[in-house]
Amino acid sequence: MYDLRLSEDQLAIRDMVRDFVAKDVFPVSTMPDRLEPFDVPLAMDLVDAAAELGLRTLALSEDAGGAGADTLTCCIVAEELAAGDVDIASVLATTAALGGLLFNQLMNEEQRDRFITAFVEDARYHLALADREADMDTALGVDYYRDTGNRIGVATTARQNDNGEWVVNGIKTRIANAPVAKLFAVLVDTGSGSGILLIPSDTAGLTVSEVERDGGWYVGSCGDVAFKDCTVSGDNMLGAGAVDALSGPGCDFGLPQNQAINLGVGRAAFEAATEYSGVRIQGGRRIVEHQAIGAKLAEVLVNLETTRSAIWQAAWAADNPDGEPAGNFPPLPRAMISQIVTAEKIYRATKDAAECFGAMGVMRDMPLQKYIHISRVFLHTGDGNADTKLRIAEAVAGHSRS
Amino acid sequence: MDFLLNQEQLAWQEKARKFAREEIAPMSLERDAILDPFDAFDWEIIKKGSKLGFRTAVVSKEEGGHGIDFVTQAIVMTELAKADSAISKTFSQCWKWSHLIAAVCNEDQKERFLKPFLTDDTFVFGFGATEPNGGSDNRMPPGDVKSGLRLAGVIDGDDMVLNGDKAFIANGSIAKLFFIYVRTDPTVPIAQGTTLVMVPRDTPGFRHGKVFNKSGWRFYQNAELIFEDARIPMTNLVGEVNGALRRREGEVGGDIFGDLELTANGLGICDAACDKAITLVRERVQGGVPLKDQQLIQLKIGRMKMLTEALRSYAMRVAWEHDQEIHSTHAGLAMNLATDTIQEVAELGMEIFDRAGLPMDRGIDKLVRDTFIWSHLAGDTVQRLKVARRELSQAQFQLI
Repeated sequence: MYDLRLSEDQLAIRDMVRDFVAKDVFPVSTMPDRLEPFDVPLAMDLVDAAAELGLRTLALSEDAGGAGADTLTCCIVAEELAAGDVDIASVLATTAALGGLLFNQLMNEEQRDRFITAFVEDARYHLALADREADMDTALGVDYYRDTGNRIGVATTARQNDNGEWVVNGIKTRIANAPVAKLFAVLVDTGSGSGILLIPSDTAGLTVSEVERDGGWYVGSCGDVAFKDCTVSGDNMLGAGAVDALSGPGCDFGLPQNQAINLGVGRAAFEAATEYSGVRIQGGRRIVEHQAIGAKLAEVLVNLETTRSAIWQAAWAADNPDGEPAGNFPPLPRAMISQIVTAEKIYRATKDAAECFGAMGVMRDMPLQKYIHISRVFLHTGDGNADTKLRIAEAVAGHSRS
Repeated sequence: MDFLLNQEQLAWQEKARKFAREEIAPMSLERDAILDPFDAFDWEIIKKGSKLGFRTAVVSKEEGGHGIDFVTQAIVMTELAKADSAISKTFSQCWKWSHLIAAVCNEDQKERFLKPFLTDDTFVFGFGATEPNGGSDNRMPPGDVKSGLRLAGVIDGDDMVLNGDKAFIANGSIAKLFFIYVRTDPTVPIAQGTTLVMVPRDTPGFRHGKVFNKSGWRFYQNAELIFEDARIPMTNLVGEVNGALRRREGEVGGDIFGDLELTANGLGICDAACDKAITLVRERVQGGVPLKDQQLIQLKIGRMKMLTEALRSYAMRVAWEHDQEIHSTHAGLAMNLATDTIQEVAELGMEIFDRAGLPMDRGIDKLVRDTFIWSHLAGDTVQRLKVARRELSQAQFQLI
């Protein structure tokens, strides 16, 4: 049965977040100093306020003290928050997703017991996945249907000392949430393969430096993490399967939520353009009454809703791994498909919405140029849509990659 | 059909290319990164370019300029824009109004304004039509009395007194002389009730207000202009009272030059994007292999060059038409095309720079931000509709 209705709970949480955004977030996030690409400090008080609503522990199981939200619900929340402020949406979505996966699934009982109390009770306990490095070759590129053996992999090393502790050395770059995280899940090379190591932020030998906004090319909170003889308990390594779940080539982790954030930004642009077009008079009437503008707004909406369908299908597929719609086998790489749909269509949508504002569409004291810029960041974060298309091709042609 | 440039055109191209590479390119990004929009401007580069003739290039040789033809103008704008689109525009904005002065100003006005313009390296022109309630309405008047510019001009003896304001005015914070559209008759539509006047910077009651902080074209100054009982002599009028928006056949300047300007300038951005992308793909290695050896990269570079060269052909054709005094819809069409083309080319360039773990290249980001300016200046709905309507109103189908 194909049912597009949201549950009562999903509608309730959506409306709660929407109200919060309208009352508390929007008035702050549209102030001119928050619309510049440089030096925009993270509004931690808004992150805290959203955390109080339970949004930081959203995906954590109810037993453990979270809301037990599934991926689709997380996407709904991410979109609503992002329509208000993309940075707080990003910080919370990152922590919520990691919190869910780590505590609900990947940690063993001993690890969970050690970290759960702090995670639930400390309103500022954020999480970060420290996976990427500056020289790492994550792009598929020349290795499409080949394996040149030339790609640079993980260089951050973790070696066990005589006490069985893990000693970590290396540098992770542009890690989401690094400046605010209290616990890192770190992708390391153990000498006999990759592993994910849990490292608290206050461990000696771990230093975080916040990344400069450099023209605004990230959303949320972003930092480099340096490990120098950083030593943690031998019990901090996550089990087999953690690497693939969090960071492997076919890994969808966090993608739908990230895409939902982009969708939220596009929606904010659309709502602004629709409102403005309903009051601005040029050509003798409200500009929405001109065919050219009406059609443009319709195209923006078509792009938003197409995007939403793709993201929500990917989210549903993540929550229902045995339930591939239409009985496709192998299952379609839905999160990668929605990655491409979202990035391209939201970029188009924000540009079209901005055009309705004339010159104001490029002014830095107005939000439209920021929405365009953010959608550009999403379009060009990571290895790009071209590389994602290669991954989709390998997935559907049944190419298996060890 | 001869696509070759003559010696004089080649010489100007070389001069512009050298200035762009040696003087503009080294300071372009740093200027773009300055947060304050007024501080992003720099007089030094303008003075240097002025000494090479770029500011006064289109004034006739007889009057003391260089009298370069439209093809040369297009080439120079492209070469300068390749290093920085906004800086190129700052120079060519002076040409826009040089054309008008040559066409319609009288000897007295040329003496008072053209002469100092020629000798002062910091003399640039501004132009004011747009107001908060009217941008599109000035470019495509709906024909009613309420729409369009409202800056009031009341004749008082030998003077005109101006009250009101303008928004987003090019060179608004730095120009020494402004060409301002004034509503001298608010009882009729703007097409019948607008007068073009010249307002020197030091006119009492006239000042610039806010400098607009734009996401692209940051060096280029756009400002609010404020008129509070600003008084100008009637000898500062250009043409007739209420005659400014009546179409004059054969007249060059204003919109007609502006269409070519935005096409040629945009072409420079395409050249810059192609250069950056080609350089990168030759140098950057992925999986041990230069990017240029990957098919998807090759397809993108091919498309960037294809679109760039198609735009160049159209830009040169429009320039040639202007030199032949042929007026067609090609200028407007080329300008509309430029909007779509330059955004696609710059954005393809940005895709080529995609790489996880690294911030986006600042230079390609600037190019992309600059291209979006065209969406409200050259390729917005009204600019496309105007050209389409011009096509539709042609009495006969033209074969070229």
